[in-house]
Amino acid sequence: MDTAKTHQQWLIEMEAESRSKQTRFINGISTKLRRPMVTEPPRHPYRGAPDFWNAYEWNEQERIERFTSNFRIVGGHVERFTTMDDVTRFIAEKAKELSVKYVIRQNQPELDALNLEGELPEAQVSVWNSDPGQYWKARSAEADFGVVMADYAAAYTGSITVLSSKDKGRSVSLLPTVLMAIIPVERLKTRLGEIMVHFDEGGRESLPAGIHFISGPSRSADIENDLTIGVHGPGVVYALIVG
Amino acid sequence: MSGGHGHSDGATVKERADLAMNNEFLRKAVKFTTERLKGGKLKATDEHGNWEEWRERGRQIRLHTIAHLDYYLNRFVDNARANGVHVHFADTAEEAVHISLSIAERKQAKTVVKSKSMVTEELHLNHALESIGVDPIETDLGEYIIQLAGETPSHIIIPAIHKNRYQIADLLSEDAGEKLEPDTQVLAGYVRRKLRTKFLEADIGMTGCNFAIAETGSMVLFENEGNARMVTTVPKTQITLMGMERIIPSWADLEVMATLLPRSATGQKLTVYMSGITGPRRAEDADGPDEMHIIIVDNGRSLQLGDPEFQELLNCIRCGACLNACPVYRHIGGHAYGGTYSGPIGAVLTPSLQKNVAEWDDIANASSLCGACYEACPVKIPLHDMLIYLRRRKVEQGHGDKIEAAGMKGFATVMSKSSRFKTVLKIGKLGQKLVARKGEIRIKVGPLKGWNSYRVTPTLPKKSFRDGWGTLEAEIRNGLQEMAPEMKNRMEQIVKDRAKGGGHGYGHG
Amino acid sequence: MKVSLFITCLSDAIYPRVGEAMVRLLARYGVKVEFPNVQTCCGQPAFNSGYWKEARTTAKTIIEAFEDCDFVISPSGSCTGMIHHYPKLFEEDSVMHEKALKLQSKSYEFTQFLVQVLGVTDVGATFPHKVTYHPSCHGSRLLGVKDEPLALMNKVKGLEFVPLPFAEDCCGFGGTFAVKMSDISGAMVTEKTDHVKETEAEVLVGLDMACLMNIAGNLRYRNEPVRVMHLAELLYEGVKQA
Repeated sequence: MDTAKTHQQWLIEMEAESRSKQTRFINGISTKLRRPMVTEPPRHPYRGAPDFWNAYEWNEQERIERFTSNFRIVGGHVERFTTMDDVTRFIAEKAKELSVKYVIRQNQPELDALNLEGELPEAQVSVWNSDPGQYWKARSAEADFGVVMADYAAAYTGSITVLSSKDKGRSVSLLPTVLMAIIPVERLKTRLGEIMVHFDEGGRESLPAGIHFISGPSRSADIENDLTIGVHGPGVVYALIVG
Repeated sequence: MSGGHGHSDGATVKERADLAMNNEFLRKAVKFTTERLKGGKLKATDEHGNWEEWRERGRQIRLHTIAHLDYYLNRFVDNARANGVHVHFADTAEEAVHISLSIAERKQAKTVVKSKSMVTEELHLNHALESIGVDPIETDLGEYIIQLAGETPSHIIIPAIHKNRYQIADLLSEDAGEKLEPDTQVLAGYVRRKLRTKFLEADIGMTGCNFAIAETGSMVLFENEGNARMVTTVPKTQITLMGMERIIPSWADLEVMATLLPRSATGQKLTVYMSGITGPRRAEDADGPDEMHIIIVDNGRSLQLGDPEFQELLNCIRCGACLNACPVYRHIGGHAYGGTYSGPIGAVLTPSLQKNVAEWDDIANASSLCGACYEACPVKIPLHDMLIYLRRRKVEQGHGDKIEAAGMKGFATVMSKSSRFKTVLKIGKLGQKLVARKGEIRIKVGPLKGWNSYRVTPTLPKKSFRDGWGTLEAEIRNGLQEMAPEMKNRMEQIVKDRAKGGGHGYGHG
Repeated sequence: MKVSLFITCLSDAIYPRVGEAMVRLLARYGVKVEFPNVQTCCGQPAFNSGYWKEARTTAKTIIEAFEDCDFVISPSGSCTGMIHHYPKLFEEDSVMHEKALKLQSKSYEFTQFLVQVLGVTDVGATFPHKVTYHPSCHGSRLLGVKDEPLALMNKVKGLEFVPLPFAEDCCGFGGTFAVKMSDISGAMVTEKTDHVKETEAEVLVGLDMACLMNIAGNLRYRNEPVRVMHLAELLYEGVKQA
């Protein structure tokens, strides 16, 4: 290895190599397909789910019921609340019950309003990326509770969707022992497709680095196909539906 | 560590299969789990409904993407670069390994945490990393176990399908330096604690790629444990190895794949985690990799492009449903196939990726052509037909078995004329007198050895059907009923419809 | 309407009783079955092993034997299925390809013909026995013959149907597979007969004599007194009894 070269220089060289390789690589594909390279978007008549599926929709009550049963069947917990105050009370009770010492939450106005810092006097509540000097992954890893707002949820598969940003760490929904995800009821859709359409419509530039669909607690069936909960991700997941 | 073929050391599929079949535990373990997965899949697809329409949609999306792979791959690469990803191309396994090692060296990496990736198995990447002093750590629970055992995965989805909890407890106890109880929770708990620190220390996170979305340059991972999220969230550098055919056009298409893949693989509505990663962390983000590389690997895949008999192989979404459905896989397990990919998909993919005609035959013969793989496949790949095409190519290229070739030539000679067939039956009836007892043949010699080790062979009756036809025909002509008019009408209508291009279907057409 | 019997080499040589049952059963509906005796084998053993040149030689006898009839009926889903491969086999011979397509469109497995073409499900049979059914892979999975045999059995008086556990699993025959990979094949057929035993059925029926020969051979080897028959035989025996 040429250590004199800076890493940046090396990346630039690799990039140049990759671009020249790309032409050969893709040309090879066109040749194998026995036609000139396709450079215009081809017509894709089978894009996405079948029409009958795109018309499929449940009403709010049904979405809540289906989400709940799907999430519970895989070992998740679901609670239903009318107001955010109820959510605060629930999290505070659970924190007390489990003697929680560390909580990490996303840096979002809805979560500021919960006032967990005031309601959980026994615990140290950290707010993701609120101080650039902190090692935030470690703060998440030590946390007993991670508290996030769901960006979307899908009832049909029992999934919560979280998008990353400066204020929304990927670690917060991944590293703590318990995950608390708050789902405002209007964000709960029927199908995955109702969520994915936003990513297609917004396009590349609108997408965050991490989009995660979470459908219950971490699990594995790798030992004798025997279900184990909580292998690497949170073993306890609460979906708190509000509104 | 992962260079070999597990612990089945036979030279041919038949030898390895024999070893596997004498391993009572292996047979039971594989049977138990594949049946459970198969049952789960059927339940999930039934519950979802309209499964045939979903399969067809999945197939069409894959067909379309592969037919325009140049366009979509270019688009993916351009978008991934715009997202800040360093994209690389590798024609061969060696090239992919070289690029991976260069990055690891540049990063002065000591450890690499890996989430499950069949492509890295294909490249024997762990072995290569070790050779330059980098410690590769498999973090999927099953893969971790297999790595400790010094073996390779024997199933695409359940890598340690061939091991029981006692064997696993022994392996993990040795790793832990203390006795661990053979309890799934205890064992998984140990691996969780052990790997937590590894994730936080690792220099590089390495992943495979389930799908790559051309229109946004995103890569998508399906998993249940959370280790793939760890690998793509915690380390500073991410390397993703991606087969060049993993592309789908859009997120809308991902909905279809997300409907097909988990249901077919494990019977889940969706895996616990489905992550779409679009580039390295943004400057203001506090987690996610600083630097992200995607290595696009050919390694024999382009051999199928433009080959009408095999191009559909590239549609495979690596769900493992064909393994779970396959009665042969169930009896011999994954290692008997002797390649990275096992089961029906492995029997076709391994030779197809390698272009090695001489090795084709043995693997392609390990199938009764029952078509269960095709029926289970969520994108309808006709694997049972492909196995026949492989056999044919071998014969055409002169690598056929000499005795079999002579036999087939004789078969064709006999069967090309009914009079010859009749003669052979006559000879058979005379010949069987030597070996038949009470209308049965039980001797275990010559070609009957394998067959009669499990069965009793019936003898030829005195008269074949053609011998008795004259008498039978005369009998039925006497007193033949008049056909009911509605029956006659039905038959005439069918013949008429047929002339219009109707007819009736078979398999995939 | 000319209906011709494609007996298949196996039924011709070893199980003529199956062809006879078919012919006699159909005669009851006024179907006068023809038997073009120039036919031999569908060519599947060669085709599946990769010897397509040899398969073509054999397939030609079948195409020629049935050129002038309106319907071809056969006691095997697998051999009927082989006919569906003929167009691919003769891809590069436009004349034969055309003929192959024609043959394909008029070929029926026996129960398909009975149910789909003649519209018969109740043949008026009585068969007071406990019966289980093995759906052969090529017939059920590839040719799509799934409901027809069940509909026919459903109408047989006195027949007690016991579903076969894991019925759709291959019996392990697979042509040359049973010889080349004899131990895997042996394990598969043993598993199949284990399931047959579980049903406690007196009779096992199917629609393919190759698979039935395999299963019957293993049952006999294990001294299991289960009677194995083609569904055509069962129906005809039931009609005679009624």
